[in-house]
Amino acid sequence: MSLYEILGTLETGFIFGLVALGAYLTFKILDFPDLTVEGSFPLGAAVCAALIVQGGWNPWAATGFAAVVGFGAGYVTAYLNVRFNILHILAGILVSISLYSINLRIMGGPNEPLLNVKTVFTAFEDLGYPGYMINPVFLGIVVIAIKLALDAFLATGWGMSMRAAGANPAMAEANGINVGKMKLYGVGLANALTALAGALFAQIFGAADAYMGIGVIIVGLASVIVGMSILPSRTIFLATTACILGAILYRLAVAVALNADFLGLYASDVQLVTAVLVMLALIGQQSGSSLFKILKKGTKND
Amino acid sequence: MIELKDIHVTFNKDTPLETKALRGVDLAVPKGEFLTVIGSNGAGKSTSLNVMAGIAPVLQGSLRVGQNDMTNWPVQKRARSISRVFQDPKMGTCEDLTILENFALAYGRTTPRGFKFAVDPSIRLSVAERLSLLKLGLEDRLDDKVGLLSGGQRQAVSLLMATTGDTQVLLLDEHTAALDPKTADFVLQITNSIVRELKLTAVMVTHSMAQALNTGDRTIMFHQGKIIFDVAGAERDKMTVEDLLHLFKREQGEELADDSLLLG
Ligand SMILES: Nc1ncnc2c1ncn2[C@@H]1O[C@H](COP(=O)(O)OP(=O)(O)O)[C@@H](O)[C@H]1O
Ligand SMILES: [Mg+2]
Repeated sequence: MSLYEILGTLETGFIFGLVALGAYLTFKILDFPDLTVEGSFPLGAAVCAALIVQGGWNPWAATGFAAVVGFGAGYVTAYLNVRFNILHILAGILVSISLYSINLRIMGGPNEPLLNVKTVFTAFEDLGYPGYMINPVFLGIVVIAIKLALDAFLATGWGMSMRAAGANPAMAEANGINVGKMKLYGVGLANALTALAGALFAQIFGAADAYMGIGVIIVGLASVIVGMSILPSRTIFLATTACILGAILYRLAVAVALNADFLGLYASDVQLVTAVLVMLALIGQQSGSSLFKILKKGTKND
Repeated sequence: MIELKDIHVTFNKDTPLETKALRGVDLAVPKGEFLTVIGSNGAGKSTSLNVMAGIAPVLQGSLRVGQNDMTNWPVQKRARSISRVFQDPKMGTCEDLTILENFALAYGRTTPRGFKFAVDPSIRLSVAERLSLLKLGLEDRLDDKVGLLSGGQRQAVSLLMATTGDTQVLLLDEHTAALDPKTADFVLQITNSIVRELKLTAVMVTHSMAQALNTGDRTIMFHQGKIIFDVAGAERDKMTVEDLLHLFKREQGEELADDSLLLG
């Protein structure tokens, strides 16, 4: 891999670090497996691109607004679950399917190119820094700042309530915590992070696309799982660090796999490889023993 | 302080699984009274506590606590004045959070939470002070995750957590049942001293008749969703476990007699 490729991997790694933080918040903290992200990632991209191209917005404002809209998407999913008792996974699927149509409306088509417009990244190029150098640095700073803010939030009274609501809802209620409200805000926040990631992704790759959300949930999960397996997460600080590290390592692994000619992988194989990796990791976590043993046991039981 | 009026609770109404858990319960617990509750399995003891805490759906009747009609209040709103300790030591605390963080949550029950850091030096100091009363050495383990504690330690912590702030009503549902006898005694002892010291209004469900008579001021017995027996004062002081057992058998016997009459 060239330096150029490594820096590119860092860029996407940091962006998906945001998705991983969102997945950590929903899956680990709130115990709310949220699939909305498949729709809120392209939603963030679509909103940001449409505002910049069609609306002539300042790219920073457009990016911020994309995150707010993402919060709304997550809020709707959690509302379906909390208020109407729709199964969390189903609620997420319903919202992300709706978002597919909504995104097409927002962009007025299946994609929205961001060519020859100002983005948050062109600001640095205007200053004379080459994008491939400055972008990973900028994204790194943004993602780490958000991670530290999330760490701090989870240590506040509100954040602690959110952790209790996910870990022990009965105890949380008995301690005066409105568990439903915590889910609404927590799932909203996770999707705000994901939409922000989508907005940044669209700007760095020059287009928003209706299909760019496919597999985002698995990438987020893979990052959390990879990160946690290499960095034991005794504290929130370590856990969120592990999420970002996991996202970078995951992107690196994908880049290496696609680069290795002898594997004969196409770029389109990434989803399959990721899904299989996550499956293996989950199976491994469940049993704490090797896959070989599990398969053998499986046939014995038949 | 607590007043239940003609409370009816029915689970799975209009299905083959319909259970009438409470069938017209009237109960008034004055401020500062320590009430103990006994009764056979499924008699409705937990359900009546759940009615007070807001977890059981009330079909009919009303609940007042202090000045407020709380019949339709959500659980978290009642938690400002009512706190509880669960039977399962795992339920009362959050095992992934540290002892200190758990207390921070408990403080939030009576004082509003905000975007301030939940744990600060003043909380650390006051928690350490309260924990030292237990003489379990927990004051030196404030940053340990609660999951590392034993059942008895967790239950003692739950009890202290449930009595922070200006709690007025304490609900205890067989909170010593999951502990070994020695630990159960210890937890019962601190329960007693905390309830007395803070002058709480307390309701304690127990499966031990001896415990029911030796603890608190007044004892009631549930049977098939109703209170069938209510004793306090001198009459209660005279009472032995045998008397209670006798009463219990007589009540059940009467039920049987009624049934046989109906069948006959
Ligand atoms: N959540 C529930 N759903 C259905 N039935 C319940 C529920 N909780 C309690 N019951 C039933 O209500 C009756 C009273 O239960 P409970 O109050 O728990 O008794 P106990 O006196 O042993 O604490 C029992 O028949 C029990 O099976
Ligand atoms: Mg019970």
